[in-house]
Amino acid sequence: MSDGNKADFLLGLLERMIEIREFEEGVRFLFLEGAMPGTIHQCQGQEATAVGVCAALAEGDFITSTFRGHGHALAKGLTMQEMLDELFGAETGCCRGKGGSMHMGSMAKGMVPGIAIVGGGIPLAAGMALSLKMQGKNDVVACFFGDGAVAEGAFHEGVNMAAIWNLPVIFVCENNLYGASTRVDLVMKNPRISDRAAAYGFAGETVDGNDVLAVYEATRRAAASCRAGEGPVLLELLTYRRTGHSRRDPCHYQPKSERADWAARDPIERFASVLEADGLIDAAGVEAMRTGVIARFEAAVERARVAPQPTLADLETEVFAPEAAA
Amino acid sequence: MELKMKMPDLSTTEGSDIAIVQWLVEIGEPVTRGQVILEVETDKAVQEIEAIASGTLTAKLVEPKEMVAVGQFIASIEVKR
Repeated sequence: MSDGNKADFLLGLLERMIEIREFEEGVRFLFLEGAMPGTIHQCQGQEATAVGVCAALAEGDFITSTFRGHGHALAKGLTMQEMLDELFGAETGCCRGKGGSMHMGSMAKGMVPGIAIVGGGIPLAAGMALSLKMQGKNDVVACFFGDGAVAEGAFHEGVNMAAIWNLPVIFVCENNLYGASTRVDLVMKNPRISDRAAAYGFAGETVDGNDVLAVYEATRRAAASCRAGEGPVLLELLTYRRTGHSRRDPCHYQPKSERADWAARDPIERFASVLEADGLIDAAGVEAMRTGVIARFEAAVERARVAPQPTLADLETEVFAPEAAA
Repeated sequence: MELKMKMPDLSTTEGSDIAIVQWLVEIGEPVTRGQVILEVETDKAVQEIEAIASGTLTAKLVEPKEMVAVGQFIASIEVKR
């Protein structure tokens, strides 16, 4: 990468993280306003995991996501507009208004719509990777899940299958220390999740998930290893969510001191200071970036509010796969 | 511009009413977007409700101990534009 390209790349990582933060903050108020149905699961504080992983993937690679998928979607290239339209139930949404917050995605952009069942994406990612391998493709699947998914049976089944067949899956565990309200150490004798990879015979690594470059580098290595046919990799990304599990969770179980410690490791502020120290941007530049993102968000909200809603005739469209030709 | 705030959908059981616990801001006081202005109790926990816009609180439309449905108006905020 030339210096100019590298600067653009790094600033792009920062802008994408700011976009996720401001999208989530804006959506938080739209929820409080009662503008959209259902609840939402947000990822403020976890921006570096989504952005670091997706930036290291190539075109053609897929991700699977969870109920907390807004950040993954923006990082994989979905637009704020198609996501806001989806949240407003509009037919212009990324899933034609049928998915909503928990099922954001776009197969065209390499993101399987969010899988809300805890651990549900893990066997699915193994199956997708098997399909890619059988077709002789060189693409990989990055499978996002949380710490709460690790004790699910689906984790063992999917991870084991990927291991025995050397499938190109990057298992990305976003360990934010809480499965809903349950702290990891209450449900794991060994809370170092990356250790589990050894039991299946492949490599696991624990990474500072609030350091976007560390996540990017670890994912790049993992993707190269997958493409070389060396089988799956497990990345445990240590991070923290600043909000409740859902908007209906007041999050009283996170101790104040713990929240403060993680706030001091904010992924956006940290990366901005790195780029400021390198002279790539200054504080005013970061603020201008944020203002620009907010303006684009607000314009997208106004369009989403009046976007066309699906009609009764759309009830069964795009729900089932088209029948294969006989 | 007057903005009416509605009770957000915070209860865990769909359709269950939410109890008003206490107001944390007086009428006539300034509020900022994101500031906690009201405590409520859902079927699961006490929750804080944040102002959705910056301005002045001009009316409290619900009283402590009242049971309120999701979507019911709870407050008025005079928003500066």
